[in-house]
Amino acid sequence: MQNLLYFLYRFRTFGLFLLLEGICAWLIIAYNNQPNAAFLNSSNRLVAGINTLTSNTGDYFQLKKINDQLIAENLLLREQLANVSLGLVQIDSSARKYNLFKAKVINNTFQRSMNYLTLDVGSKDQVLPGMGVVGGEGIVGQVKSVSANFATVTSLLHRNLMVSSSVKRTHTLCTVQWDGVSPLEASLKYIPRHIPINVGDTIVSSGYNAVFPENIPIGTISEYQLEENDVFYEAKIKLAVDFSSLEYVYLIQNVHKTEQDSLETETQVIQ
Amino acid sequence: MIRVNIQQQVLHFIVFLLIQIPFLYKLILFNSAFGFFYIGFILFLPYALNRSLTMVIAFLTGLIIDVFSNTPGIHASACILVAFMKDSWFNMMMGTSDDDVYLDWNELKIWGSIKYLLPLIFIHHTIIFAVENGGFNSFGFLFSKIIYSSLYSFIIVFGLSFLMAPKARRI
Repeated sequence: MQNLLYFLYRFRTFGLFLLLEGICAWLIIAYNNQPNAAFLNSSNRLVAGINTLTSNTGDYFQLKKINDQLIAENLLLREQLANVSLGLVQIDSSARKYNLFKAKVINNTFQRSMNYLTLDVGSKDQVLPGMGVVGGEGIVGQVKSVSANFATVTSLLHRNLMVSSSVKRTHTLCTVQWDGVSPLEASLKYIPRHIPINVGDTIVSSGYNAVFPENIPIGTISEYQLEENDVFYEAKIKLAVDFSSLEYVYLIQNVHKTEQDSLETETQVIQ
Repeated sequence: MIRVNIQQQVLHFIVFLLIQIPFLYKLILFNSAFGFFYIGFILFLPYALNRSLTMVIAFLTGLIIDVFSNTPGIHASACILVAFMKDSWFNMMMGTSDDDVYLDWNELKIWGSIKYLLPLIFIHHTIIFAVENGGFNSFGFLFSKIIYSSLYSFIIVFGLSFLMAPKARRI
């Protein structure tokens, strides 16, 4: 009898162990499977508040770098503006499809195999889960969850984020996905073998989904190889964005996202 | 009856856990060594404290870290396993099983720290990196991350516990 009681006592502890590990497993799976998981992450108000505090303290040591980045970006924009005023580029302002918001990065990682950013904008600023995030040089990620004042962004440096992209020169559709190793590189997938590609080709977003507009830079091809029996190239790209020094980013709102998404879903259901 | 020095535990909570939070992903060496020294708080929970209570504390500790690192469940699961194994591992390594053990640097000394802390930190880090990586693919890189991070965390935990050891008994 005593042995039985002892066994039950031991099992109680082990049962609690299994229960707690079960809860953890459920949390891990639920968070990775829900595109808009809004619990227990860094868009939480208290957590983001603490992150803002650390970020603000750190910013003073990087003011010069931030200034340089902003000047470089200004230069790029002024060049484009000059082109517009010379009539080289036509802008049809009646067909405005995208709205941009600015945001400050208050927390950022780039060395892990799943990286996230936290931004200081939230649902009060009309930010919604699923919006695209770009930096001065190119694509940064996609909004995962939003609280009143903060947003958590799945970085491009995240194994689960695939970005529909195309080779700028040949307009070949391909996919960019991070392989989890270097924060400077990502893999480029699904370029068929009959397309000639070169080192240095620019990869841009394809515009075939409702998240990113087309022709936003992602990176340039740094190396590629093609085995005898492969259907697709195995290529690596050098990312355009330097994730180690992200300070300010822009969120892209597609005005017609709901319409485009629902139409595409409807079409898939019919098929 | 186990001796629980509340003051000491609060000090551990502040030094290991609260200081870790702002530096969670800031103390990175060579792009592969991550310093997760908050595990020291769990490793230095009182010896022979009710195991269920230890696990619940570890679960909450892990969740706090998870919230800050956007990994719900990953740190928590590793912490629970460490809390579950902690006392039995201590008995195996140090060969004592009486309840009158006061778990701190003075009890462990250098060799004891290596035997008791390092393997548990290694297990904790293995779970975190493997789960975050989604398995053992790109094994070489993953393994170097685990090894370097374990050593790095161990050095920090060891250093902090040494600094916090009661002065009167320090040799």
